[in-house]
Amino acid sequence: MKIGSLIGDILKSFFKKPATILYPVERIHAPERYRGQLFWEPEKCSGCQLCVKDCPSNAIELIVLDKVNKRFVMRYDKDKCTYCAQCVASCRFACLNMNSDQWELASLRKEPFTVYYGKDEDVSFLLAERAATSHLHSTE
Amino acid sequence: MPETKHGDKFIVPIGPQHPALKEPGHFEFTVDGETVTGASVRLGFVHRGIEKAAEERTYIQDLYLLERICGICSHVHAMAFALGVEKLAGVTVPERAQAIRVLVAEMERIHSHLLWLGVAAHEAGFDTLFMYAWRDREKVMDLLEQLCGNRVNYSINVLGGVKEDVNDVIRDGILSAMDYLETRTVLYLKLVTTERTLIGRTRGIGIMEKQTAARLGTVGPTARASGLERDIRLEAPYAAYLQYPARIVTEQTGDLEARFIVRVKELYESFRLIRGILSTLPGGELTTKMPRRIPEGETISRVEAPRGELFYYIKSNGSDKPDRVKVRTPSINNFASVMATAVGHKLADIPMILSGIDPCFSCNDRMVSIRGSEGQQAVDWEELRLYGIEYYR
Repeated sequence: MKIGSLIGDILKSFFKKPATILYPVERIHAPERYRGQLFWEPEKCSGCQLCVKDCPSNAIELIVLDKVNKRFVMRYDKDKCTYCAQCVASCRFACLNMNSDQWELASLRKEPFTVYYGKDEDVSFLLAERAATSHLHSTE
Repeated sequence: MPETKHGDKFIVPIGPQHPALKEPGHFEFTVDGETVTGASVRLGFVHRGIEKAAEERTYIQDLYLLERICGICSHVHAMAFALGVEKLAGVTVPERAQAIRVLVAEMERIHSHLLWLGVAAHEAGFDTLFMYAWRDREKVMDLLEQLCGNRVNYSINVLGGVKEDVNDVIRDGILSAMDYLETRTVLYLKLVTTERTLIGRTRGIGIMEKQTAARLGTVGPTARASGLERDIRLEAPYAAYLQYPARIVTEQTGDLEARFIVRVKELYESFRLIRGILSTLPGGELTTKMPRRIPEGETISRVEAPRGELFYYIKSNGSDKPDRVKVRTPSINNFASVMATAVGHKLADIPMILSGIDPCFSCNDRMVSIRGSEGQQAVDWEELRLYGIEYYR
């Protein structure tokens, strides 16, 4: 039996850089596969809704504006998302991907957590429609 | 000071909220002076209703729900569920996927055992070891993040395979980290067997005989430290453990020191398995086609979690949602051993004995109804909801 077995390690550590980093002053890159924010490309989507069905936390919704002309808008809630990438695995057309750079998603307000993806005219159409209906409700 | 009459008992309540415990559990220790003469435990403070929730989600959604039963051994929960569902569906998972599952499970074991080494050292008042063990654990966490994309709930499983593959960069990273960790493990093994500050808290403390361990139904490293040869990886090999057999690590003394030694030696076993898998990783697909509706039937699935045997019972009614999912985690088996070994020890040794089984409180807490017990009542979902509202009013 002896005492102070770790003294060598402790002395060595005096001359080493700390194992931790001074975030947010210093930053490290997230690994290539890191699951950050979800992105959706509307061009390839067939509107099969498999990603929506498989999502364990109801974080995505595919809003169908016109099924025949494939006009879809995807609502994505960053705060509900569990970053499991099941939707990415379920998608047969590789429309979805999780970006490894977008991982600092904290916010003080709730609004930035909801994102709408789609063609610009579709998103603005949907938002205008929703704004109109909510305006209608508020005046009633 | 009031005079205590002979036969009076002094009970020290600990928890549910207590600085020595990171999770809620209520313990009552009857003491005579400083010596514990009786112990009782009450669990259930973090019951989350996961089994009920699993019945209302599809199999795919359940995979991620059940992964969140435990934050430390998240992969084995998902793996046990996936193996069970695949068995029910009659699907054969590609060999490469099975090997990657085992690879992640072994990396998780390393991270879990290093975490435990840190926690136990912290309970023993040896915070230097706590810091170094957790610094080294970061290596495995980073590798898991690189391989799977997430640090804690890896979500690498899908029903029918795995999501991510091992490429050359990741393989080299894992191999060099294993070399580093092996040199550290040599130091840790020397430390737990020779360092006086640690041995003073572990040698001869919390001794559990082999017969007691068998009678109480202990599992995992707690059982193996008492000389019981229990390891699901060997008894009922699953996933790729047939191709990469594990070797059992046992100790005979059954005290806290033995539990330290077993867990540290199991690290070597994990390094060996990981190197074996990476050198002969079978080629082929990562996933296979999986039906969404699982045929009617029931099955059990057992895997060796870092804490011991993890048991899943899955019943399917032919739809895309399970009829029943029953989970039994290893901590619930091991809790009885704490109560049995605590008697006769100093109160100050209790946190060490408790952390010796590597308890995971939120894993434990599930509803159990005992047939024929007094005060048994059956309530339906609506009654339970109203009772809940009344209770917290």
